[in-house]
Amino acid sequence: MRYVIIGSSAAGINAVRELRKYDQEGEIILVSKDEHIYSRCILHQYLSGERTLERLNFAEPDFDTLYKVNWMKGREAISLRPADHILVMDGNEELSYDKLLVATGAHTFIPPIKGLSEAENYIGFRNIDDIEVLKDVSKKAEHIVVLGSGLIGIDCATGFLHMGVKVVLVDFAGWLLNKQLDERAAKTYIDAFKAQGVDQYYGVGVDEVRVNGDHQIYEIALSDGTVLPCDFFVVTAGVRSNIEFLKDSGLELSRFGLVYDECGRTSDPDVYGAGDVSGLSPIWPVAVKEGMVAAANMTGHSRKMTDFFASKSTMSFLGIHTMSLGIVTPPDDSYRVDTYDKNGVYKKVVSRDGVIVGALLQGDLAYGGVLQQMIARKIDVTKVKKPLFEIDYSDFFHEKANLEFAYDL
Amino acid sequence: MYRIRIDRNLCIGCLTCVTACVVSHETESGDARNRVVIDSETTPAPIFCRHCSKPECTYTCMTGAMHKNPETGFVDYDKDQCASCYMCIMSCPYGILKYDSIRHKEIMKCNMCVHRSEDGKTPKPMCVEKCPMHAITLEEVKE
Repeated sequence: MRYVIIGSSAAGINAVRELRKYDQEGEIILVSKDEHIYSRCILHQYLSGERTLERLNFAEPDFDTLYKVNWMKGREAISLRPADHILVMDGNEELSYDKLLVATGAHTFIPPIKGLSEAENYIGFRNIDDIEVLKDVSKKAEHIVVLGSGLIGIDCATGFLHMGVKVVLVDFAGWLLNKQLDERAAKTYIDAFKAQGVDQYYGVGVDEVRVNGDHQIYEIALSDGTVLPCDFFVVTAGVRSNIEFLKDSGLELSRFGLVYDECGRTSDPDVYGAGDVSGLSPIWPVAVKEGMVAAANMTGHSRKMTDFFASKSTMSFLGIHTMSLGIVTPPDDSYRVDTYDKNGVYKKVVSRDGVIVGALLQGDLAYGGVLQQMIARKIDVTKVKKPLFEIDYSDFFHEKANLEFAYDL
Repeated sequence: MYRIRIDRNLCIGCLTCVTACVVSHETESGDARNRVVIDSETTPAPIFCRHCSKPECTYTCMTGAMHKNPETGFVDYDKDQCASCYMCIMSCPYGILKYDSIRHKEIMKCNMCVHRSEDGKTPKPMCVEKCPMHAITLEEVKE
């Protein structure tokens, strides 16, 4: 049996581990554009110099020998012929497979901004190569403008700040981390970035980047008329899945990405998918679990992905810690909101009809994991007599025969 | 593998286990890696890391700092590899994890006190040794 996995990030690496667990003899080939295994979530610590490339590695140092993997690094998938069980790689090299896992992830989306197609001094914030460029840029550029103030944009701004470089943030949304934070929690960060000298423009778009004869952006015009000087532009305005090589494969694709079911099965019985390539739930734990689930099914062990709750994140920008879960701003007044706001600690739990739908913890995240379970499992919390932001496992305590805990419903 | 059995009927909420944990680990901040909480019926509930068979904290860890040890079955934590992103705190279904209260860097994670045993892998939890009610006991279980 020959398994081929494309992609060496969260989904691909965990798929390899799981494949080897179920099949000690099968041949495993890992194909990746990346030449190193590294965690994209901590690239800002590589930018700032807090972490070396080796310490971005989230796998075992001897990963390929440990799991007996033939790792074809620095290689790119070009096209796929599912009927022939053939993956075509760069150089038109054909690689046959019995079972294939597509875990190719996503790439930076470059929005169609006027002038940008002529420019050369812009980049995304996703791959190690992007960071190598930005390390160099940080030494020379004086006016770095970052488009987007989501988790990646703020990661980027923070990485630069560690090096003493103050970027300018621009976002169409009304406040930073708009998907994760309510206005109150966002203000803590906005004020903290302001105190660090980071200029921020919210509620405005980029109308145009102005480019000189050397293809260099020198100015950025915002929708409110503001003109910002700029000598490097970083784009963090979302991602698109890496499905270009599948366009003639006949595999079912959606407008977001590769289509696969809760077992990781695509429209072809021998091709599986996992991770950001679906374009649906682009977060680390989902990619890990999808990789594991797909691998189990590839080896004939039936397993289903059940945890699709993906609107969750934690952050610790500028030493301010926040956990965000589900709906943090109630859409109407039919929701109950429990809040606590004192001495730098802000806690908010949004619920309706005895079910928690969202929560924000800022300044104190201790033991917050229970909240995620309450939201994801839609657990009835009417029996809990303490404030919802102090909820803990005691009211749900259940010890199984093997002494694990469980939510016994 | 070994887990700590919790008998809530015997627990009187004296917090000796929490103190034992602090003493065993000598963490700078004096934080414990276990806790005892009180439910809505005012019954104490000791909450200890279960070293889960399918550990959510390891699935969510983006650095590999939190990882299942195939030999002992324990979920080990490497504080030097940790990026202090706190995703594990959010992912622990039972609300056992937190960060240290001084530097907010290190995750307070039970290691079954393997550092107290000679071979460095046999569990020797001080909380179990010190519990005056024998409400927590060390037992061998199937994963």
